[in-house]
Amino acid sequence: MGLLHFFADPQWIIPNIIAPFIFTAVALILFRNVSGSVALYAVLGGGMMGMWGNTLYGSGFALAFDRWNGTIEYVLATPSRLVWIIAGRSASNAVLGLLNALAILGVVTVGYGALLEVANPILFLVALILTLVSLSTLDVVFCSAFLLSRSASVMTNGLEFPIYVASGSMFPIALLPFWSHPLSLSLGPTWGIDAMRYAADSAYKGLHFGYWIDLSVVLVSTIVYLAIGFWLFAVTEKKVRNDATLVEY
Amino acid sequence: MLGDWPPYRIFWSSAKFAFKALFSWLRPEMWLMQLLTLPLFQMAFFVYLSRFVNPGAAGVAYIAVGNALQVASFSSIFAVCNITSEEKWQGTLTPLIVTPASRFPLFVGRAMFQILNSMATVVVGFVYASYVFGVDMSGADFVALAVVILVTSLAMTGFGLMLGSVGLYLRTAMIIANIFLFIGLLICGVNFPVTYLPTWIQPLSYAIPMTYGTIAARAAIQGSSLAELAPIVLQEIGAGVVSVVVGYALFLGFEALARRRGAFEEF
Repeated sequence: MGLLHFFADPQWIIPNIIAPFIFTAVALILFRNVSGSVALYAVLGGGMMGMWGNTLYGSGFALAFDRWNGTIEYVLATPSRLVWIIAGRSASNAVLGLLNALAILGVVTVGYGALLEVANPILFLVALILTLVSLSTLDVVFCSAFLLSRSASVMTNGLEFPIYVASGSMFPIALLPFWSHPLSLSLGPTWGIDAMRYAADSAYKGLHFGYWIDLSVVLVSTIVYLAIGFWLFAVTEKKVRNDATLVEY
Repeated sequence: MLGDWPPYRIFWSSAKFAFKALFSWLRPEMWLMQLLTLPLFQMAFFVYLSRFVNPGAAGVAYIAVGNALQVASFSSIFAVCNITSEEKWQGTLTPLIVTPASRFPLFVGRAMFQILNSMATVVVGFVYASYVFGVDMSGADFVALAVVILVTSLAMTGFGLMLGSVGLYLRTAMIIANIFLFIGLLICGVNFPVTYLPTWIQPLSYAIPMTYGTIAARAAIQGSSLAELAPIVLQEIGAGVVSVVVGYALFLGFEALARRRGAFEEF
């Protein structure tokens, strides 16, 4: 359904990934005098931000639109569990968010004349897919709150940038205040982007745990997010049904 | 009496209506959360990016001040630009357009609260710039800075109204609202000087009031007085006035076009 929405009206991808695109473009200009694998950093960071931006907005706004259009009752009344519907939307939106990485790749290739080289494409692809799944499941966790609120669209605005910052999408999390490191390390995407950088750049040092540890943490955190998401959706679905507050404005 | 003058009455009626409508669906605590978190994380992203690129602290103040002012765009661009689209979504645009009320005070009134909202967001941004990101404001001229914040909020709201006029004829203004919400980060001297951009983009930068605002705000932080800033502030006011005039002309043009084609409610 998420993909059908996209193909029916592709212009809606723009609001979802414009922030990641502009953020990455600013980064490219700031990076212009810095040596090293800048293009790689920008494309990977831009790709991750695009996946998060699109999955968050695509899924968050989908619930808000359902509520505005009066279709949320029908979605909830289907025999399928809502969490699966949301998870499907999240995954398809995350895939579409990769368009940001392609757009940035185009800018880097044309504007900077830099060709992207990936040291180990297979490991990179595995890390990319797992990061995508991790972002989708993280979105499922947040979406349970969107079900309870008529302000889902406002909440999505508040959740976009914190993940860009906390996950170190464009800079090492070591730069962040020390007290925020546990929060950053509790996010699967932090480890996912680190794993992608290990796979793409053989000289990358990153979090110092190595590719496979990173990948394991992404996997474990994804399972934890999924479990929390399922539990939260069960609780929130029950609450909105019992309180009859699903369409309350 | 002024209160009986129709444009004045329409303006205040529209402004009060927009304020009540906003808080009838948005809880004040959610509004407050947005006010406090959006500037913080946007500024944090670019400040840490700057620290990564250039470990020296020189660029941090430049970026923190630029972003503290640019966050005004959330209200002055995004919210204002969507005014016409929101009326369209809710099916109230056509009843509104068929009233004999003058369009100018009607839609400027709708944007009134967003001017205050912009100013509040920018003030929060400057508090973060000083207390979280360590921007030295000991030599700042706060009167000049306050005027810059006021003028930027007004001028950018004018720019947002101009974009909203285009939205009158589009299925939704959400797309252009999002583009112009963030494009200032790239072309308005928020994160790096406009001179870094290709020369063909620079005229576009100077068509947006924010570009003048960022220059003036940095100068005010460094102690420039209002008198010293007068030329740049006047240019910003000029850019805002041009936006409003062009926006109103576009509004009337698109209204006529939409009437002729029966496309007011076209989605």
